[in-house]
Amino acid sequence: MSDLGTTSTTIDEERAEVVAQARERSRRGVTVEVIGLYVICISIALALAAILVAVTGGSWTAVYTAMLDGSIINSGRIGLTIGVATPILLVSLGTIVNGRAGLVNIGQEGQLVMGACFAAFAAARLDGPGPFVLVVAMLIGVVGGALWAGIAGVLRYWRNVPEVLSTLLLTTVAANLMGWGLRKEWLLLAPASGRANRNQVSEPLPDDTRIPRVTWFGNEFPISAIVAVLLAIVLAVVLGRSIIGFRLRMLGTNPGTAMRAGVAERRYGVAAMLVSGGFAGLAGGFMLAGGDFGNYQLVANFGAGIGFAGLLAALVARQRVLIVIFVAFVFGGLRTGSGFLRATGVSGRIADVVQGLLVLALLLPPAILYVRERRRALAATSARV
Amino acid sequence: MTQHDTIAGGDATSPPAIELIGITKRYGAVVACDDVHLAIRPGRIHGILGENGAGKSTLMKVLIGLVIPDAGEVRRHGTAIRINDPVAAAEHGIGMVHQHFSLVEPLTVWENVALGDVGRLDPRRVRARVGEISEQYGLEIDPDDRISDLPAGMRQRVEIIKCLRRDPEVLVFDEPTSVLSPAESEFLFNALRTVVERDGKAVALVSHRLGEVMAATDEITIMRDGRVVESLSTAEADARSLARAMVGREVSLRGDVIQTGSASDHVHRDRTAEVPVLRITDASARGRDGRVLLDRLSVDVHAGEIVGLAGVEGNGQRALGDVLSSLLALDSGRVEVESREIPTGRAGAMARAGVAIVPEDRHHSGCVLDFSVAENMFIADPERVARRGLMDRGEMARRAEALIDRFDISCAGPDAPMWSLSGGNQQRVVMARELSHDPRVLVAAQPTRGLDVGAIEYLSEQLRAAARGGVGILLISTELEEILDLSDRIVVIANGHIVGEMINADVDLERIGMLMTGAAAESGVPS
Ligand SMILES: Nc1ncnc2c1ncn2[C@@H]1O[C@H](COP(=O)(O)OP(=O)(O)OP(=O)(O)O)[C@@H](O)[C@H]1O
Ligand SMILES: [Mg+2]
Repeated sequence: MSDLGTTSTTIDEERAEVVAQARERSRRGVTVEVIGLYVICISIALALAAILVAVTGGSWTAVYTAMLDGSIINSGRIGLTIGVATPILLVSLGTIVNGRAGLVNIGQEGQLVMGACFAAFAAARLDGPGPFVLVVAMLIGVVGGALWAGIAGVLRYWRNVPEVLSTLLLTTVAANLMGWGLRKEWLLLAPASGRANRNQVSEPLPDDTRIPRVTWFGNEFPISAIVAVLLAIVLAVVLGRSIIGFRLRMLGTNPGTAMRAGVAERRYGVAAMLVSGGFAGLAGGFMLAGGDFGNYQLVANFGAGIGFAGLLAALVARQRVLIVIFVAFVFGGLRTGSGFLRATGVSGRIADVVQGLLVLALLLPPAILYVRERRRALAATSARV
Repeated sequence: MTQHDTIAGGDATSPPAIELIGITKRYGAVVACDDVHLAIRPGRIHGILGENGAGKSTLMKVLIGLVIPDAGEVRRHGTAIRINDPVAAAEHGIGMVHQHFSLVEPLTVWENVALGDVGRLDPRRVRARVGEISEQYGLEIDPDDRISDLPAGMRQRVEIIKCLRRDPEVLVFDEPTSVLSPAESEFLFNALRTVVERDGKAVALVSHRLGEVMAATDEITIMRDGRVVESLSTAEADARSLARAMVGREVSLRGDVIQTGSASDHVHRDRTAEVPVLRITDASARGRDGRVLLDRLSVDVHAGEIVGLAGVEGNGQRALGDVLSSLLALDSGRVEVESREIPTGRAGAMARAGVAIVPEDRHHSGCVLDFSVAENMFIADPERVARRGLMDRGEMARRAEALIDRFDISCAGPDAPMWSLSGGNQQRVVMARELSHDPRVLVAAQPTRGLDVGAIEYLSEQLRAAARGGVGILLISTELEEILDLSDRIVVIANGHIVGEMINADVDLERIGMLMTGAAAESGVPS
């Protein structure tokens, strides 16, 4: 009997060993494949962009040199890229949270704008020591973003409104609300004394309520970047290892089983939306107080597409938290690099197209992988017996 | 059924429509199919039997291009063909009738049939064709019915019509009857007989039910551990030797119970004085469309007792299961566990109160296919393998490993994704989880669906042991044999209401039959 037992364990162990090896092999295979896909897609995008620039009379070598110079090579540019990447990263983190719960939030831009508005409103009215005002204003920014996404969550669970639609529509509403608020002095508009006439801007944050900036190796960036990375690490642990993350994933993949297992769809779903919007709101607050986006004040079109960039970054990273840190940096680099394009004499529109091509190249591999995985999973489960 | 051998359309010697030669498929260390040979002949129904995880589904997926084999070839009328995807399979005249997934619920029957067509949609033509097929094969259906309103049997008819419309030469069915009532199954087999006899089509049929394989097929192939262990003509087969060939040992079969009347060894104690562990009183519920699902249903289950809920499929069993899974809220009435009222429709409330459930549809509320086996074992109470809110993967894997051993679940290990398990092994994971949580009440809804005969024997033993250990068990089943085999007391459900009750010791089959079909109402209904 005991004899039998031992042989069966060794067979099991052997089997487990073989399985582990096979898995390891396939993982390596996938990594090589992913890198290959990226190389191909980015090469094609670069080639297309080069042709486009050349055809329109520009110098494509100058364009690429400018992109690299502007994003990482010239001194101090890495710091700037980090500063731009920070809100992108935060938005992505939120996107991953709602993605895990099976919800689609595409209104981060609006949530970010609301966060910035709430933060600006609070900062202009709070009294007290600067750092205190700063922290409270940022938290109020979180609340603003969370509320904005929460509306979509409530509509989804109590009124059956698809969150894809409501979040997008609420983005338009947010932009208009900010525009309106920037015309009312009791809301966001800076007092007439502090601004050029007819400029619709909010009051710049005073020096002591701005996010401190640090300098590392000649690169200066706001410490909000460090906060964002820490939040990413915390989120990775929460989503990957905690019970809450486990339940959220369950809700996202099988709501019926989740309900039976005690995951109330409404509670977890709305919470996921609140957290998602909260991250976007914090991104808005950090943009306002960080210094890399204008003069510490709200202006028309304040969001600058950072919300959308964050959404894309999350898609590119295929919803994985630690990878999104890197992807956000790349997206930041695309922006700061493009800043140098003007100097090459390439027209603004062409520069936009070049940037768009590169984003597309980054998005394509995850899309391909996603479609293929779906197909594989379908094949594995479609005759689920 | 020997008469099939002589019927025109095909016999054991006619050249195969489709032939599988030396098919091998590995998944890591698991060999799902190992040098399998199989010939499917026109005009014949070919049954495929085997234990859970024997490789039956994998083989069928090879046929329809969902799985590409590592070695071996497929021949159609003698020429080798490649089947890389279901589209290619359809081109080669092979069609699969899927179980319950590929229909779009909000659409109507004909819309679903037209789905996936390319080119211009001509509703009139599609409708007419649906009518034609349904008439030809006796698959009666209204093309304008909405799928969401149809019971499982009708949905399957739609799937069959969808498949037949392409006029395939070979039809593949993987456990088609696991979602059907006995009457619907019989209907299906009649339709299949027409299909093979009239048009000389060939059918491959996977099933765990020996009785129906014996009755409906012409030849049988038995698989074990990925290999073909026996191929024989149905005429030469008997259930007992089939079971032995499948499992590799003697097993006791369900059917024996009725024949020998050995069910009377259920001792019945009068428990009316005891407090039941589960008491459902006057439960009523309606579906979203206003249909009555449960109608003042009352039932008690005492500790240590197995209560069998018999009834024809679609009479409220599913709703009752949903209520006890916290998926459905009652409009009126109450559910009590050990005299404590449990709110219905509140996430996790039933599980917390100690109500374990093996649901009827495990993919809907029993497991998460994208999670690992280990994760699936702890979906209801991850706290047990967590410290300060963080899950301890090692601990989880260790405990899952123990359950995998105890319930003899065949999988690559605790980290294997649930979808990689065979259907029967997924069911075992659900069973293992629910029984390992020390429940007060266990609701087992169609628990043996998809299990092989050996596993059914084992499961029955587990249920009896749980009852002996003081768990109150509510067994919901459309199979009377199963109910008679296991229950101490039998209640009959019809139209969402309990219409009769009797103890197993003095069971009257005729009366149960009449109650189930609503032919007789009972006055002495417990309220
Ligand atoms: N995609 C996959 N990845 C890994 N292993 C798989 C995969 N598909 C099947 N297997 C394994 O192959 C074996 C055969 O599975 P298959 O589904 O063919 O069994 P089956 O005979 O249909 O069993 P059941 O009666 O339980 O449905 C099982 O051990 C299963 O775990
Ligand atoms: Mg199977």
